[in-house]
Amino acid sequence: MNGVGRPLIGWLDVPRGWLDAFGEVARFGSRVAGLVYSGRVLKFFGEALRQAGILILGSAIVIWVFSFILGLQCGILGAYFFRAQGAPAYAGLFSAWCDLREVLPYAFGYILSAKVGTGIVAELGAMRISDEIDALEVMGIEPVTFLAATRLLAAWMAFPFMYLVGIGVMYFASYLTVVNQVGDVSSGGYLLIFWMFQNPPDLIFSLIKGMVMATAIVMVGCYYGYTASGGPVGVGTATAQSMVVNIVLVHIIGMLGTVVFWGANPRAPIGG
Amino acid sequence: MAGEAVTRALTPAKSAFDQTGQMMILTAKTIISAVRPPYPYGEELVWQFLFVLKLAWFPLLVSTFAICLGAPGLQAAGALSLFGALDRLGGFFVLAAIRQIGPVVTAVVVAGIAGTAITADLGARKIREELDALQVLGVDPIKNLVVPRFLALMVVTGLLDIFAVVFGLTAGITTELLYKQPLGGFFATLFANASTTDLWGSVLMCTLFGAIIAIVCSYKGMTASGGAAGVGRAVNQAVVIAFVGVFFFNYVFTAVLLATHPELQTIR
Repeated sequence: MNGVGRPLIGWLDVPRGWLDAFGEVARFGSRVAGLVYSGRVLKFFGEALRQAGILILGSAIVIWVFSFILGLQCGILGAYFFRAQGAPAYAGLFSAWCDLREVLPYAFGYILSAKVGTGIVAELGAMRISDEIDALEVMGIEPVTFLAATRLLAAWMAFPFMYLVGIGVMYFASYLTVVNQVGDVSSGGYLLIFWMFQNPPDLIFSLIKGMVMATAIVMVGCYYGYTASGGPVGVGTATAQSMVVNIVLVHIIGMLGTVVFWGANPRAPIGG
Repeated sequence: MAGEAVTRALTPAKSAFDQTGQMMILTAKTIISAVRPPYPYGEELVWQFLFVLKLAWFPLLVSTFAICLGAPGLQAAGALSLFGALDRLGGFFVLAAIRQIGPVVTAVVVAGIAGTAITADLGARKIREELDALQVLGVDPIKNLVVPRFLALMVVTGLLDIFAVVFGLTAGITTELLYKQPLGGFFATLFANASTTDLWGSVLMCTLFGAIIAIVCSYKGMTASGGAAGVGRAVNQAVVIAFVGVFFFNYVFTAVLLATHPELQTIR
């Protein structure tokens, strides 16, 4: 209770820890990605399907509920912003860009790092602590392929579809707030502007952003879970550490995606 | 048969309601034991406060800068540059950086860093039966463990919100510089639109986010069970519930704030 035996924490510990972890995560992640690309993971395709099933059953509802709440948020901000500008009919512009380009990738990244990333760390960490990973090795099953690569393959199989459904849920929520809750614009007027300010490449770009985040999160989760140590406390600490890395990676990937896809060309049907 | 299926389908909903109720009870207990003397938690409070501050300041800096440069910065500047009205970005940043992104990103970072640490810490103590031992010794775990975390997290999230707003606005300035604009227009529309209500709303919302995170994470930590896997699972659930709670509260708070303060809705 009196601070004795507490770990001393310095102000620069977090950035220093990242520098340590970044190279390790990159090396581990590229190894896992290599296992998936070379097709060696297909030996355990059944396990990958099982993991995809777990992802869908465990995370889909949470992701969609979260997308719904954030869609409400985008709608209400856009409606009030354009009402203040004196152009309430253009609320669709804000929701189209807010939903598709920015907020859904972030929402997806947040929920994935919270639900899937920490889940993987907790699961693999518990296996590591109870020596199950060593047991796999003894049995002649490559643990990295069986545990990490199958999860990455499962993520690549399941997440694009969950993401696309999330976009639909979010559009519905924004429509509800702008047209039904605030009610400054008619349904037809809203949808006209809403669909005018987006096109299929935007959807692809948004999907790429989300999938890069998902890949990074699964890799970070697998790394921290695979290298956990130090009993029950160690699993908890590894879970917490992976969350710190994930949150920042999500934001950085989101920013880089925006710079690359929309930084030089806003892709809006205005002017030349 | 049908009844059984209905029962099975309703079990998750029932347990969600159950846990929400338990968290409410924990909130009430925490507030009561925070105000009722004695106050043995001062040192722990300071330690938790510094702990969160030391761990969260750098991730928060990177996160707010990145998200504000991408979402309201480059996207809005792209649209505004088509109209030749890049000075309007300042007014948009009041809405984006101060009212929304500052509090939300602070909450996400604090939940991800401090919330997970709290659950991992309390969960490990629960698994090792330290919490029971404390109770046997006559030390109230709520007063000595939950209250300092609750208060420290509320204060620290509220203060970190200001920090987040500062770095969000720095990202706005960077955007203007990337578009080779003079900064006078940005600051003019920023200060014309920013109001004290905006800032207080932002800080108050963020403080309450801190309370939500502290309660959810303490509750999940104190009810962890099932060994090493149990602690990890508790952290996992805690952070998901904290996120959903924070974002849902954000929607309710923003809707109420905007609807009750019409002066926030005018862009000057």
